[in-house]
Amino acid sequence: MSVLTCVLDSMGSSCSRSDLLSESETTENAKSADIDRRILQETKAEQHIHKLLLLGAGESGKSTIFKQIKLLFQTGFDETELKSYISVIHANVYQTIKILYDGAKELSQVESDSSKYVISPDNQEIGEKLSEIDGRLVYPLLNKKLVHDVKKLWQDPAIQETFSRGSILQLPDCAEYFMENLDRLAEADYAPTKEDVLHARVRTNGVVQIQFSPVGESKRGGEVYRLYDVGGQRNERRKWIHLFEGVNAVIFCAAISEYDQMLFEDETKNRMMETKELFDWVLKQRCFEKTSFMLFLNKFDIFERKIQKVPLTVCEWFKDYKPIAPGKQEVEHAYEFVKKKFEELYFQSSKPDRVDRVFKIYRTTALDQKLVKKTFKLIDESMRRSREGT
Amino acid sequence: MPQYQELPCGGLVLDIDTALKDGILGGAPELGDAAAGDGGKQPVELRKMMDELDAAGEGGGDEAVPAVFICPISLEPMVDPVTLCTGQTYESANISRWLALGHRTCPTTMQELWDVTPIPNTTLRQLIGAWFFRRYTRFKKRSADFHGRAAELVHGLRGTAVPKRQPLKGQSRVAALRELRSLATTHQSVTKAIAEAGGVALLTSLLGPFTSHAVGSEAVAILVSGVPLDADAKAALMQPAKVSLLVDMLNEGAVDTKINCVRLIRILMDEKGFRPETVASLSLLVGVMRLIRDKRHPDGVAAGLELLSSICAAHRPARCLIVSIGAVPQLVELLLELPMECVEPALDILDALAAVPEGRIALKDCSRTIPNAVRLLMRVSEACTHRALSMLWVVCRMAPEESAPAALDAGLGAKLLLVIQSGCGPELKQQASELLKLCTLNCTSTVFISKCKLTKTIQ
Repeated sequence: MSVLTCVLDSMGSSCSRSDLLSESETTENAKSADIDRRILQETKAEQHIHKLLLLGAGESGKSTIFKQIKLLFQTGFDETELKSYISVIHANVYQTIKILYDGAKELSQVESDSSKYVISPDNQEIGEKLSEIDGRLVYPLLNKKLVHDVKKLWQDPAIQETFSRGSILQLPDCAEYFMENLDRLAEADYAPTKEDVLHARVRTNGVVQIQFSPVGESKRGGEVYRLYDVGGQRNERRKWIHLFEGVNAVIFCAAISEYDQMLFEDETKNRMMETKELFDWVLKQRCFEKTSFMLFLNKFDIFERKIQKVPLTVCEWFKDYKPIAPGKQEVEHAYEFVKKKFEELYFQSSKPDRVDRVFKIYRTTALDQKLVKKTFKLIDESMRRSREGT
Repeated sequence: MPQYQELPCGGLVLDIDTALKDGILGGAPELGDAAAGDGGKQPVELRKMMDELDAAGEGGGDEAVPAVFICPISLEPMVDPVTLCTGQTYESANISRWLALGHRTCPTTMQELWDVTPIPNTTLRQLIGAWFFRRYTRFKKRSADFHGRAAELVHGLRGTAVPKRQPLKGQSRVAALRELRSLATTHQSVTKAIAEAGGVALLTSLLGPFTSHAVGSEAVAILVSGVPLDADAKAALMQPAKVSLLVDMLNEGAVDTKINCVRLIRILMDEKGFRPETVASLSLLVGVMRLIRDKRHPDGVAAGLELLSSICAAHRPARCLIVSIGAVPQLVELLLELPMECVEPALDILDALAAVPEGRIALKDCSRTIPNAVRLLMRVSEACTHRALSMLWVVCRMAPEESAPAALDAGLGAKLLLVIQSGCGPELKQQASELLKLCTLNCTSTVFISKCKLTKTIQ
């Protein structure tokens, strides 16, 4: 804009119609000044907003955290939004049962004791019908008849057996939850509860953001946060690049329960290894030199249960783990081990001059609202302290 | 507490018997002279007591100021009560202002005043004086009673106070902890009272993964102020979640918080059941190094070095971790800037780190090792000289061709001769002469002499 005004100035001085031009000059000048002022205002306003970026591999729980923040600090989900999730939830049901059905068929061919995975004939019929539904573009809403079918198939011992091998399939974590609530989901006047919405699984495309102001105990308001959520799968990462500028803190979500699962995009790659590489990559980015890092070791509830059955050593990164006594102590011990591994990774990937940036690890279960609230309170305090310089 | 009798009009009076018992009417000896003092002086003293009690936040609570002592105009306790002809009593200054404005009615009853003269109500003034005096002496006694106050605070925090109340939360909890901390640090004997009231278990339970920094820093400060910690308490504190909190506070807090965390970890390390892996945490080591590097706070430096030294001694694998975070060059750089008493611990640490191969490599790679070590010979103490010599020995052994000339350039030769000739122990002299031999292996005597700047006599 300023170049244009310069040109106009010089034009005015060399032309004979200087009177006309000087009038348009003044309006141009006024407009330009106005725009400059607005830019300044907005820049100042932006500086007071603390930007948080949610990063992590696919299905690490970023969007769940996003939904939790929405529930905690904004007005939550209104009725329309809740209803909008019905189709998503029903889609999750169809997807789940299809994955299980296909999985059972495959395992019955591949596994040595295949008889475990053979589905009974009438259930097979159901399975084929449901697979056909899943193949359509738009899923039909669940009704009593469909739910009855799904339930019957779910209760087939072969399917249950396949479910116990869920980690080798791309089964979403909400599978069991939705299967157990099928009757409720199919009711005519079904309105999803908060829990249902939190469990619902839909892949995030692009970038979503919310702005919120947590009102603390001391009622010291005025702190405005803006939270960005991005897609996690590999093919979405290039979209993150332009967000990296000016972020105050990165919340990196790592689902520690997926040490025995493979990626959705690449079934030969272990998910924990993928998270490790991604974390490493993010830490090394130049734009994050001064950014605080909050590492959420997420899905702790699933981790707790899984540790009793599947040893940590199945993941290459954790192969030097030595278990101690079984039971609750084991869970704590395993968690500390994983935490230490991430710490090691952090310090290895950070150059000595970056070691001064804030780095904290939090144990989270994104589905637990109370826990997320407490965790966020700690983050708020921590960011406040680093801002005030104490 | 005075018993109140409700009148139909809603006013409250003091029951005569209770007033006598509590000494309001001047019966008890404690009410002595201050209450019945000289009329002119009294309002000033009374005002002073009222202000002090107000400032200490003692107004209200269980014992509110009796309603009859309150001026109806200002709703404040009266210092100089005067009564009008209607029988109503007001604060002298307030009623004078009312009358000066031209009113000729009684503010409360709205009756017309047939006589405007205010009559000083000496009786009421004495009663007010006595009441406040009693309150004041009790307050003063409580402030002197630190033990009682500390026990009170602990019970308040635990929720086990005598009129049963909820345990404090939020801002009031932080305030109570802060007060407890200042009591504990100023009066050592209070720590015993805190322990007896169940304070240790309370403080330990307050530390956890969701403890806010404010609460955590106060709790740790109280724990290190000398409160006796038994084996159970220490075992409870050694839980990974609590140690993680300590490490977080060590990284984020103000200097005193950092020092307190360091001290607490040190206390835990001395305990028998301590698992050394607990301190093999990179975040902890990075935090301690940061504390050591902070020259503005020598206390922190000393505390940090002490902890790091114990960690090196207690846990061998921790040494590799310490080297991996780049501690060796950082410590070497600091050597010449440390206060005298910190040099020995720092050299101890470097010595311990030199025991692992990575440490030795780090020492060799650091360019300031040789010059700084040479400068330290014979400067601080015999132990330091010993350590510095070992360090030089390690470096020169690893890479004699490069280190030896560098060492001689830094003035090693003269220093070593000094060591050999000094009153140090025989092994030190032995080590010095061996080092000298190693360094001068490829030197001609003229070069050696010039390097050492020896005078003719010593030659």
